[in-house]
Amino acid sequence: MKNTAIDPAMELLRRLQRLLRWRLWVREKLQLSDWQVTLLWAALAGFLGAMASMIFSALAEGVHELLTGSSAGVVESMRHLPWWGCLLVPTLGGAAAGLVLLYGSRLTRSQSSTDYMEAIVIGNGRVPVRASLVKSTAALFSIGSGGSIGREGPMVQLSAVAASLVGRWRLFTGPQLRLLVACGASAGIASAYNAPIAGSFFVAEIILGSIAMESLGPLVVSAVVATLTIRVLTAAQVMYRVPEFQLYSPWEMGPYVVLGLFSGTLAPLFLRSLKQSEEFFLSLRLPIVARLALGGLAVGVIAINVPQVCGNGYSVVVQILNGPVVWKVLLGVVACKWLATMASFGSGAPGGVFTPSLFMGASAGYLFGGAVHAVWPAGAVNPGAFALVGMGAFLSAASRAPIMAVIMLFEMTLSYDIILPLMLCSVIAYYTAKGLAGESLYSASLRRKAAAEPEPVLPTGRVADLMRADPPTIPAAARFAEIAQTFLSVRVNNLYVRDDEGRFLGAVSLHDIKPYLGQPELAELVIARDILREDFPRIGPDQTLSDALGMFLGFTAERIPVVAPGTGRLLGSLAKGDLLLALVEKRRKPVA
Amino acid sequence: MGRARTCFAAGPGYGDRDVDLPTQLLAQPDALMLDLAANSRESAIIALHARLALSPAVTDAPKFLHGLLERAMMAPVCVAPDVALPHARTDAVSRVVLGVARITAPGVGFDAEHPHVRLVFMVGTPKSQVEEYLLAVAAISRLLKAEGVRAGLLAARTEAEFTALLARGARR
Repeated sequence: MKNTAIDPAMELLRRLQRLLRWRLWVREKLQLSDWQVTLLWAALAGFLGAMASMIFSALAEGVHELLTGSSAGVVESMRHLPWWGCLLVPTLGGAAAGLVLLYGSRLTRSQSSTDYMEAIVIGNGRVPVRASLVKSTAALFSIGSGGSIGREGPMVQLSAVAASLVGRWRLFTGPQLRLLVACGASAGIASAYNAPIAGSFFVAEIILGSIAMESLGPLVVSAVVATLTIRVLTAAQVMYRVPEFQLYSPWEMGPYVVLGLFSGTLAPLFLRSLKQSEEFFLSLRLPIVARLALGGLAVGVIAINVPQVCGNGYSVVVQILNGPVVWKVLLGVVACKWLATMASFGSGAPGGVFTPSLFMGASAGYLFGGAVHAVWPAGAVNPGAFALVGMGAFLSAASRAPIMAVIMLFEMTLSYDIILPLMLCSVIAYYTAKGLAGESLYSASLRRKAAAEPEPVLPTGRVADLMRADPPTIPAAARFAEIAQTFLSVRVNNLYVRDDEGRFLGAVSLHDIKPYLGQPELAELVIARDILREDFPRIGPDQTLSDALGMFLGFTAERIPVVAPGTGRLLGSLAKGDLLLALVEKRRKPVA
Repeated sequence: MGRARTCFAAGPGYGDRDVDLPTQLLAQPDALMLDLAANSRESAIIALHARLALSPAVTDAPKFLHGLLERAMMAPVCVAPDVALPHARTDAVSRVVLGVARITAPGVGFDAEHPHVRLVFMVGTPKSQVEEYLLAVAAISRLLKAEGVRAGLLAARTEAEFTALLARGARR
């Protein structure tokens, strides 16, 4: 009689092998590469950034309502306050911001600079949490009380903090963490201006100095997720609704060229004045509370007659773009707004000057267009169009990021008709400003901080700087079944094999064993030593990143084992993604 | 020691043999020893290795033997109660080599769980040929699991009968 009995143990093993093969097949098909994983984290950073921005915005409005008793816009609220209210609210707001900074500094004494740009460009990606929260809380008072300053700065800062926390929680390497913080910043900008493309390019062009896909891809994902979150939760729409602008005649390009020169000249003057104001306030040697209160008082004095100086200037820009505006009134408002921004920024009120820059550009453009229209109507048919182009040109000159400026203006207005003069004017303004002064809206801050804290933070060019410890390994005697199980539990294509002393022996490739996963007879027969590749490339911790790059060019792998030269001990692994990010970072140029 | 035969077939050439490698190896092993008299794992391995080392594909016989013994000591090499598959990936061979031996009853102990091994399939593979190694080992293992093959090999009366069984099994 034929024996048909099946060994239960063998049957179980056979089923386990079949299951392993299928799981591995499914996993391989759905396996995410390092870059795809990075995009997922970027998406999370985008979501958190949007939430942080929304919370900050809501709190700023709450503080504003508390101080003014009005839920209307900043300019409208100040317009309805009595003269003493106009004086009192910004002064109190400044004092409150100063108190928060004063007492908050006791909590954050040991922490480094809070600036997210510093964390990305010259730091290790760790944005201090307490210090950022203190600074953002202070910003709530300076912004909520009507300070002539933008709220986008703290929004981006908080967004970057959220991203930094996620990266630290997941133990990201330096380049990864810096990229994630950059994603947070991108999300912050996108949330603040409902402009995902500009958010991505702001960080890529200004902070990273590179639009390589290694970094731009995650920035885009982060910005898109942030914008979607904001749109779903707040029904946000186009930031500046503008009438239809068009280029009536090619002759208009002449005045636009001049506007580019004008904006390129004005922007450095504006920035220089802010710096001088800062130096002036510091020279007064006042305690921080008094200094910020004095800045607020100066804004209040101006706001008694010109409430438009309060806030970031958004409502005035909308009026200018939708015109008409009496040029004499606008000239007065511009002068006052300039002074108010000097007072707020110079006194040290936490906040941003990005939106105030848009105000200056729109005003300058409108006044310029109006002047041209007065003497040559065909040269500037619609001064409102010059206001729009002026915004982009001024922003381009101030930030030294013409691509971002063009994209941002386009995104904020969705006015494509103006794109030709906008591009030309922004580029001319950029080169004009660059020729006049060596500093931009952001480089001054970064340079100061770099000088104050010159610790080397860019990768020094050694493999050890980017090495990840504890890569997945198996012993030389690991059986085939154990190897397959390990491949299932870790997301690698090569498992490193080590001996009892921790020496690197070679690597087992998933590619090699994949066809045999369905063969249970190999499960107990084959061990790691039988199938390891001893010639698997390896690198020493002291070798340069260029050496590592050369190795990655020579074979297909996502990681190289890092091995101690003398002992052969496996120290860690170097990921190709980390190396490329580091190289992208090294390629970036100092901010102009 | 019983009858023995060595075949010095050139063997399949590197690069064009992925599909046919196991079939060619089994149909024409580099060494074949029927009724090998051995009293231990080591003596069985040494005897079969000595015959296999006559193949020009074995370029460094001592090194090959060292690799085989080291591997056998490191982890079990048996694929069935009475079948062992000592193998080594080593620079001592220039291509995949196969030696087959049938040990006289009652066989030798390869480890505690396999005290009566009668069939020994010795495989040597160049270090660089991981895929070929797996291909050969998997095919041999599969063959020996097939119903009736082991019994047929143990009962074969001549080398011709023995190799015909191997070839038939490999083709299957």
